[in-house]
Amino acid sequence: MTQELSKFDRIIERYERSEESLLAILQDYQREFQYVPEEGMRRLSEVMGVPLSKLYAMATFYKALSLVPRGRHTIKVCTGTACHLKGAPQILETLERELRVKRNGTTEDGEFTLECVNCVGACAMAPVILVDEVYHGQNRPSKVMDIIKKQVGS
Amino acid sequence: MEKISVIIDGKVFEAEKDTCVLEVARRNGIYIPSLCYHGEVPSSGGSCRVCLVEAHQGGRMRLVTACNYPVRQGLEVKTDTPLVQRIRRGILELLLARVPNSEVIREMAAKEGVTEARFRKDEGESERYKCIACGLCTHVCAEVVGVHAIAMVGRGADKKPATPYDKPSDVCIGCGACAYACPTGAIQLKEKDGIRRIWHKDFEMVRCSVCGVPYIPKAQVDWIVKRTGKDRSFFDRCPDHR
Repeated sequence: MTQELSKFDRIIERYERSEESLLAILQDYQREFQYVPEEGMRRLSEVMGVPLSKLYAMATFYKALSLVPRGRHTIKVCTGTACHLKGAPQILETLERELRVKRNGTTEDGEFTLECVNCVGACAMAPVILVDEVYHGQNRPSKVMDIIKKQVGS
Repeated sequence: MEKISVIIDGKVFEAEKDTCVLEVARRNGIYIPSLCYHGEVPSSGGSCRVCLVEAHQGGRMRLVTACNYPVRQGLEVKTDTPLVQRIRRGILELLLARVPNSEVIREMAAKEGVTEARFRKDEGESERYKCIACGLCTHVCAEVVGVHAIAMVGRGADKKPATPYDKPSDVCIGCGACAYACPTGAIQLKEKDGIRRIWHKDFEMVRCSVCGVPYIPKAQVDWIVKRTGKDRSFFDRCPDHR
């Protein structure tokens, strides 16, 4: 447990003890653990003297922070207007079926998190998916799994 | 404090500068509907929007929330113009669609002639569906009680007051101030056999030594003693028998 705590303390130590640091620390948690662990929140509350309820409100407000463990790879399916018209719903359905995961969920083996996003600003390439921040355009349901496999190498 | 005069619905009233319009109106018996504002809670108000009124100042008119708009010399407020009525009905209609189970909202809406919302109604379990997500409970918990047990969680349509992780809170003292302050009665507080249940947590109640009625959670007594140094024996009796 002490070792567990120290991994949070190492992150907290990088910052000044002020309320302005809270979000940056939560972002560092997210980067390091792929999510914001409850024990990390409790530790941060203790060290900073900030109510846990306040941290929880912050962590649930920002979409960039997740309270549940996420997959090693994040697949974002753009469901903005252009992508929607170009077949994003079919892409999403294919991924849900092939990966056996619901949207905004994580696969059982912890490999992939599937997310919907509203627009990634690449409408000319519609329909677009992002695999770990790499853009793939002009997708088709029949090709999409190959693209993902090729990138993550499995 | 500087005294100024303000006109509300054609009548002139004296008030302290920077008091909010709603306070001045209330003190002088002028009705403005309101939900999320409480005079004793500093950061309450501004979120439910039902108190919108016309503020005329310097030749311009703006729709403002009466609960957090400061009165200044030369301000004229109109609380019941056709524009205000139309906007108010719109807001109440939206609230009615959001919390069709709330008697308070239904009554307030009926008063403005709104009995049915044209929008899709939110349906679900009655507890959640009385909450208008105004945040007054969380402000009371933080600023009046000072324990920060609850906060507004999530965002957008799913925003709601909750304890962290929806688990029983470590810091909640079961005082029930949140439930008392809630304008729509959305917070469940249940008491049975000397146990109070609120926010998924059970609190043992202290009984009055005279009448035997369980009247205050032990955790709340602990909190008050810790914060104020008040003698614990003070709480042996309920307010009616002190």
